Amino acid sequence: MDLRAGDSWGIIACLCTVLWHLPAVPALNRTGDPGPGPSIQKTYDLTRYLEHQLRTLAGTYLNYLGPPFNEPDFNPPRLGAETLPRATVNLEVWRSLNDKLRLTQNYEAYSHLLCHLRGLNRQAAAAELRRSLAHFCTSLQGLLGSIAGVMAALGYPLPQPLPGAEPAWAPGPAHSDFLQKMDDFWLLKELQTWLWRSAKDFNRLKKKMQPPAAAVTLHLEAHGF
Amino acid sequence: MPARWTWTGRVLFLLLAVESLGELLDPCGSIVPEAPVVPLGANLTAVCVLKEQCMRDLHVRAEDIFWRTNHVAVPRRQYAVLNSTAASVTLAGLSLLSVQLTCNVRTFGQLDQNVYGVHVTAGLPPEKPENLSCIVPEGKRMTCQWDAGRETHLETNFTLKSEWATERFADCRARREAPTSCTVDYSPVYFVNLEVWVEAENALGRAVSAHLNFDPVDKVRPNPPHNLSVSSSEELSSILKLTWVNPSITSFMRLKYDIQYRTRGASAWTQIPPEDTASTRSSFTVQDLRPFTEHVFRVRCMKDDGRGYWSAWSEEASGTTCEDRPSKAPSFWYKTEQPLAHGSRSVRLLWKTLPPFEANGRILDYEVTLWRGKAAVQNYTVNDTRLTLNLTGDRYRATLTARNGVGRSDAATLTIPACDFQATRPVRDLKAFPKDDMLWVEWTAPGQPVTSYILEWCVLSDRAPCVPDWQQEAGTVHCTFLTGTLEESKCYLITVTPVYVDGPGLPQTTQAYLKQAPPSKGPTVRTKKVGKNEAVLEWDRLPVDVQNGFIRNYTIFYKTSAGNETAVHVDPSHTDYTLSSLTSDTLYMVRMAAYTDEGGKDGPEFTFTTPKFAQGEIEAIVVPVCLAFLLVTLLGVLFCFNKRDLIKKHIWPNVPDPSKSHIAQWSPHTPPRHNFSSKEQMCSDSSVTDVSIVEIEAGDRKPLPEDLKSLDLFRKDKASTEGHSSGIGGSSCLSSSRPSICSSEDSESARSTASAVQYSTVVHGGYRHQAPPAQAFSRSESTQPLLDSEERPEELPLSDALDGLPPGQPPFQQSGGPRLSGCGPGSPVREEDFLPDPAAQPPACGLGKAFPEALAAGALGPGLEGPIGGLEAVGVEAELDEGLPKSYLPQTVRRGGYMPQ
Repeated sequence: MDLRAGDSWGIIACLCTVLWHLPAVPALNRTGDPGPGPSIQKTYDLTRYLEHQLRTLAGTYLNYLGPPFNEPDFNPPRLGAETLPRATVNLEVWRSLNDKLRLTQNYEAYSHLLCHLRGLNRQAAAAELRRSLAHFCTSLQGLLGSIAGVMAALGYPLPQPLPGAEPAWAPGPAHSDFLQKMDDFWLLKELQTWLWRSAKDFNRLKKKMQPPAAAVTLHLEAHGF
Repeated sequence: MPARWTWTGRVLFLLLAVESLGELLDPCGSIVPEAPVVPLGANLTAVCVLKEQCMRDLHVRAEDIFWRTNHVAVPRRQYAVLNSTAASVTLAGLSLLSVQLTCNVRTFGQLDQNVYGVHVTAGLPPEKPENLSCIVPEGKRMTCQWDAGRETHLETNFTLKSEWATERFADCRARREAPTSCTVDYSPVYFVNLEVWVEAENALGRAVSAHLNFDPVDKVRPNPPHNLSVSSSEELSSILKLTWVNPSITSFMRLKYDIQYRTRGASAWTQIPPEDTASTRSSFTVQDLRPFTEHVFRVRCMKDDGRGYWSAWSEEASGTTCEDRPSKAPSFWYKTEQPLAHGSRSVRLLWKTLPPFEANGRILDYEVTLWRGKAAVQNYTVNDTRLTLNLTGDRYRATLTARNGVGRSDAATLTIPACDFQATRPVRDLKAFPKDDMLWVEWTAPGQPVTSYILEWCVLSDRAPCVPDWQQEAGTVHCTFLTGTLEESKCYLITVTPVYVDGPGLPQTTQAYLKQAPPSKGPTVRTKKVGKNEAVLEWDRLPVDVQNGFIRNYTIFYKTSAGNETAVHVDPSHTDYTLSSLTSDTLYMVRMAAYTDEGGKDGPEFTFTTPKFAQGEIEAIVVPVCLAFLLVTLLGVLFCFNKRDLIKKHIWPNVPDPSKSHIAQWSPHTPPRHNFSSKEQMCSDSSVTDVSIVEIEAGDRKPLPEDLKSLDLFRKDKASTEGHSSGIGGSSCLSSSRPSICSSEDSESARSTASAVQYSTVVHGGYRHQAPPAQAFSRSESTQPLLDSEERPEELPLSDALDGLPPGQPPFQQSGGPRLSGCGPGSPVREEDFLPDPAAQPPACGLGKAFPEALAAGALGPGLEGPIGGLEAVGVEAELDEGLPKSYLPQTVRRGGYMPQ
């Protein structure tokens, strides 16, 4: 029920947002504020782009870590990676997320991941890898901005940064090199999972945003008559 | 010593240098502003402030300051004294980019001293950069470019700035050598809007371009698709399938494509309609291609919504479509090689190989079927494009198909008419003309429906035979171009034959050039006839090989050696021309040029000279002159003839002709002489008188015995009777030409009427009855060489007989009578032989003692009555008389003439 309620709220929120924006839309001129639709679409594309980037980066980085991390069927237990936000979630729970929560979770997750990634960046050795990591970080930064933009377009406040998360990666005192690599491995894996999830999240949001766009079109046609 | 001086010199130099350096380091004043940069055309005010210490030392004031720009003093009206130590200058409208401005003072003694100097730079503030645009090549960094605007003449920095809504990126400084573009040093993040702008800044200002906000993905130029390959389909000969690998950007971006193709060797590309390739894909099937043709493909891509840039073209890939059956029947024609003879004729069937786009594959062979009437006569399978057949005179029909690996073409049908077929219905208004580097042929169709047209053409040449090429056109075509390789400047003989269902029509022919040129040789002109004032020139037509075009006209240039050239245009149909109004007796130089549409060519020069007189002019003068001369001569002759007596009287005095003198005819009846000698009888037929003439020559001393004998007889007879002679002896009028009666010592001789007789005619008879004493004439006084030698040739030595004659001269040749040796019927005596020689007569040798009887006879000249009777009676004498006129020597005085004395 909660989930449905959340869904309904989301829809209502969307409808409200659209209705709120409708008066602002000039009847025959759509050059004004395009609404969150394009932003959502762009964010979705960005997640796809980051996914593509990460695929290349992960390959390079796992090779840098060496075996067994670069083996295709390497699937270690998730040890010492509890600080990383989990992307995996129950499907029902995921479906029941409202837009705000969904966006907030994404924003928070990427904020955390970005902090971890920057720590990873600091330790990386190869210059080319460092550049790739830096670019990926920048892109992730862009994704955060993009999500923030969508949230702003939808009227949601940005979540407050968690205290202690901002200093980013604090290397644990008892971390061995292997465990460190394990953390790196899980960081990349979690990033990938989050990007997949985000793609679905924004696809879902995108689809949600389309009916109001149709309504606008209908409205325009009615106005035209 | 020199080393020491050098050392001292160095010290002095150092001291001076330090001192001057000190002055430089501590100048007497300063200029504000220190390094002014001013806009071009603006005013600059600079202030020079003097140090008080200096003013005291040099005893100068602010009023003593003066300024120089580039070593030229600035007029004082631009100065202003601000206070006791400072003065300013205002430079208005600076137009120079760089000016050296110095502040100077004039000390005592008019010594100018530089106080301070600055470098004034002029330029322009930067303009706002325009047309900012950025491009993001896939996998590379973003590059933006812009228009810098006007030249500022100053060092201007352009900075490309970029930022997100939440973050700012590092500035990109344009390099000095390329101030209008910059490549950022970070990889752009797609799908996040970026704001970029350009700032231009120099000493005079700063300008910022408009901000450009875009998603870098909308400025992407993707990498081109790669690994393009082409594959054909066995089932469809008109399609080829392209496959390629997309650039990696397709993993997050959709693409559209641009596919182009062309046949191998062609230059123009054909584009696949863009709407067919507007979505991301990695393969495409191209349709409607020609069978059995190699095609070349290339492909490029860009973002599907059209934002961004097209990628570069992929590498080209080629593929060949599969074969298909020939799409068209070959062109089909025939030639009669040998006309009908002995019931058979030879016909060569010709056809053209199909062009690749119609053959649709490799042609394996051709099949020819020959029909007579409705029945197929024979089938032939030929690899060549010709087939020679021996046919009867009937009408035949031939069909031709081409075969390739897939199938056969449609059949081409050709009707070979019977031998007695008369071709009619030609095309009309046939013309050929060059256009667009091709030779076009145009005609008007005949009224009847035409199956096809056959065009044949060949190069018209005197050197090579006409080897025709041909092509076939559909019956609906009325204008086409010749498909073969044609040469310029060659005359093409083009024949168009319409082909009807029942056979070919009448061919029509025309000539054309693909491109004309001036003739390669000019015509050789020569004269056919040259008159006094005109000349007929003639030339041969140029051979078709050197014409290089249609000869439109000839031009004849002629001139005298000194005169201007005259040109005459002549129609090309002529081969001669008459130049008139020429000057006589003048050398003319003439040459001739032939012109085609493209120009002309001169032939060799020919010279000729006009004669001084026209033909017949000389004759017209000479003939009348000759005629006149002749007439005058004739008239003169006539006149002389008419007046010959008068002239004769003046020129030739009347010399009595001794031959016409008659001594006398005193013995009218001379006894017959037939008893004398048989020899005389023999000569009686001729007109030989009794006078025998003996030629006495040096080498011929032998007298003619018979003659002499007769003479001898004669003499004896005379001597026995009364030998008489013309009155020579004692005549004193020998030289008188007039008849006169000369006195004579002898009365007897006086009776003879002969006068001025130089010699005697000895006539026997006469007074033969008389017997004058022979002694009385023992010696003749005549100077004439009378027939003394005849009298006594044997007794008279030649030297005596020819006494007084010049040696070697025949003494009696001219006066002698007919020679006895020549006596006979065939030797008439000619008068010319006896031309008188008056000069020789007087000194004629005297008779000496040769003819005493004769002289005696002469002296005893007969009476007047005597001779008549004598002549009548004596036949020989009669003959003698008749012969007398012809003989000069024995001049006889005719009756009525002069009588010898």
